[in-house]
Order: sequence, then C-alpha cells, then structure tokens
Amino acid sequence: MRPTFAAFPLAVGLTLSAAALGAAPAAYAAGASDTDQERNARWQEIAKSIFGDRTISPTDTLVKLDAPKRAEDAALVPITLTMPDRDKIKAVSLIIDDNPAPYAAKFEFGPAADTNELKLRVRVNNYTDMHAVVETTDGKLYEAKQFVKASGGCSAPMGMSDEEAMKGMGDMRMKFADAQPGKPVEATLMIRHPNFSGMQMNQVTRDYTPARYIDKLTVSAGDQKIFTMTGDISIASNPVINFGFKPDGKPIQVAASDNQGGSWTKSFTAPSPTN
Amino acid sequence: MRRGMILARGAAIAAASLCLAAAEPADSPVNVPEPPGLYTGPQRGYTPPTLKGAQVVDGEQVAKLLEGPVKPVLIDVAMREKKPANFPEGRLWLPVHPSIPGAVWLPNAGAVPLAPEREALFYARVESLTGGDKAKPIVVFCHVECWGSWNAGKRLVEKGYTGVHWFPLGVEGWQDEHETKTITEDAEWKRGEVAER
Repeated sequence: MRPTFAAFPLAVGLTLSAAALGAAPAAYAAGASDTDQERNARWQEIAKSIFGDRTISPTDTLVKLDAPKRAEDAALVPITLTMPDRDKIKAVSLIIDDNPAPYAAKFEFGPAADTNELKLRVRVNNYTDMHAVVETTDGKLYEAKQFVKASGGCSAPMGMSDEEAMKGMGDMRMKFADAQPGKPVEATLMIRHPNFSGMQMNQVTRDYTPARYIDKLTVSAGDQKIFTMTGDISIASNPVINFGFKPDGKPIQVAASDNQGGSWTKSFTAPSPTN
Repeated sequence: MRRGMILARGAAIAAASLCLAAAEPADSPVNVPEPPGLYTGPQRGYTPPTLKGAQVVDGEQVAKLLEGPVKPVLIDVAMREKKPANFPEGRLWLPVHPSIPGAVWLPNAGAVPLAPEREALFYARVESLTGGDKAKPIVVFCHVECWGSWNAGKRLVEKGYTGVHWFPLGVEGWQDEHETKTITEDAEWKRGEVAER
C-alpha cells in the first residue's frame, strides 16, 4: 500500500494543474522578490556554516544539478549531478536548503572515480532551492542551483512497520552497465536500509522512529577509492547511488555504516571489458 | 461510465467511513466524510472536502480576502519540525517555516487531544487576534492533507466564530502562486508551552 503522504505533491499538482500549466508563477519570475531574497539569505547562512568564509562562485559547467521541478514523491526525489571535468573535481556537496537538516550529502572522490554522472535520491521537506557545491582540486568552490517543489518528504512515514522496514538491513546489490575498453563503467549501488530520518511518526503508536541513517559509505575499486559519501537524514530510504568508475579488473568494495553503529561490507566482481 | 463513477464513489465513501470508524487515515482522497466532532486520527492524511460552519477556500480566495477591506486573521497550525532525539551534535539542523505573509503560527493547535491549558490559550490567542469580533474573517491552514487545520477550524466554528475559512491546500497550495515569508512561532503560544514543560 502506498503511504498517504506519497500523494502530497501529487494532490497539489492535480488541484493546481490549471495554474501550473500557465506561465511561470509571478513570484519566481519576478527576480528579486521577497521570497527570493529570503531564499538567498538562507543559502548564505547555510553556506557560511558549512564552508565558512570561502567564496563560492556560480558555475554552468563544473557541476550541473538536475532534479524534477515538481517531485512526484517528496520522500524519493531523484537527483543527478553532472561533473564532466573529472580531473578538476575533488568533492561535491548536496544541500537541500529548506530541509531542517540541509546538508544532505558530501561525496569525496578518489583516483578510481569517474565523476561524469552521480545520481541519488533524497527527501525534500519544503519547496526549496537545492545547491550542489563542488570543490575543485585547486581548492576552489563552485555552486549550481535548482528549485524543487515537493513537501513533507522528511517526515513521510514509510508505510510499513519499522521492523519490516529494517528487514535485511545492510543487504547490497550492484548493477554494472556494459564495459567498453578504456571507458569508465557506470554502476548502480542499492543498499537496503530504512534511513529513518528521525522525523517520521509511527502512524499507529504516534511515536517518532529514532533517526537511523547511513552516515558513511566508501566505495573502492581494489585499493583505489572511488568515493566516500558522508550522508544525512535527507537521503531517501533504501539508498540507490549511481556512479562511474575506472575499472582495472579488481573487485568493487563497499563499506557502509550508520549512525547507530551498524556496519556492512560487500565485494562485487566488476565487469571486464569485452573486445 | 457515469454510473460506474457513482458506484466507485459510493465504494470510496463506504471505505472511508470504515477507516474513520477506526480513526485511521482514509486510503483515498475521494469523499472523505466529515467526522462528527474533532478528528482523532493522525494529522497526516486525506481530508474532507468540507468543514460545516466554515467556508472552504483556495489560494486565490485567500489572496482576495487579503486584498479586501477586512483583512482576515491568518492562523497557521502546521506542526514544527521535531529534531530527532539522536540527531548528532555538530550536524547542521536549521528548520525553517515558510508561510503566508502575515500569518500567526500556532504550531500543532489542531492536535487532538490538546491539553486544556493549550486549548484555552488557542481560544485566547484567536480572541485577541480577532479583537473579540466573532464575525471577523479567519483563515486556518497548515499543509496540504493535514487534519490539523481542519480541527483548528472545527474548534473555532464550535466556539461560535462565523467567519472561519479553511484553506486545505495550506502552505503548499499558497506557494505555488504567491510569495511566502519565513515566520517564527507565536511568542505567547511558545511561552505557554515552555511554562508547561
């Protein structure tokens, strides 16, 4: 059964479809509206608390952030980060400005990474700006921004009991796209884990399920790191992460741990190029 | 086809009534019936299309009221974001509450049950905000598909307020078309709660 919350953004969408079909709402088309100014001020506050006084320049090329303008399910919003300049990228942070815990994830890349495309799924609590901030190898910061309409994703219950949601916690699967000689390989990592946000209320007992989320995830090709992810409660349940790596025939090692002391590892055989 | 739809609606009403009897969320947005009194189920869930004694309004109607000669009192009863008890120290926690500009935020005033002192304070705040005018237009809202605003509206109707407007689409319905403003909790409402602790 689909939990009730899943229909949140959908219901708004249906009710306001006539309005949504028209031109962009004046509030956002007008430029420096009060709402925009508030959003900007909030971003400045968040950026300062994460990056201190470092300058963050806008970019159209170093990182591109793609998210649905209106999410169908606020608890499962797909995000794509495109960073084609592999040699320039050291790390990327994803910030969901209006989530109560805005710093959703940070990925630090290693020598085996291919950064071209990174995908993950997140929870979105309010209509919000999202920011992707890349740190380049020369220590500079660049940001890309996208506005997303979704609501209630952080507190949306999973629609099943906590026990059921935790069944098989830590199980992992990985799918690989076809390997081609000399080309990076695309992989999809799926981890079974409820990633409880701590803001989800059990609809029967009315208690909050304590936060239990993957806070560290390291993926390596042999002894070469692909990435380390620092996660937070904004990552959707049962995390799915698409990433690229440079295959060298060694197995892909995954190590995941959560904030309640759970830790899991698994090794996957990487495809070898067929030629 | 029409007949089929009517039948389907009938089935949805029956299903929804069964759910309500058990105070569980309705599993369909179609024709959720009004409970006879306050709704005691979880706040999150499909809500009825009506609230007896109150006028149901959309974002445009709220905007019109705001432009009109008699400014309505805007009451936002959305729950505040609860910081998880085990949220790690040092991680960024920065909840924000965008709402309709000018709204007074009385978090969770639509809760059932509500402690008698809180309920009394809710009525006192509304009395003060309306200047004791029971006919003053009031708009109650929270989020879309949230029973909190329905309950808050119901409380006011039962208290004899005649200008109650229920805005079921809430903050989300508003911000699709209009400017929002980040607001903080009503000071008296907050003080009352701190005193309780």
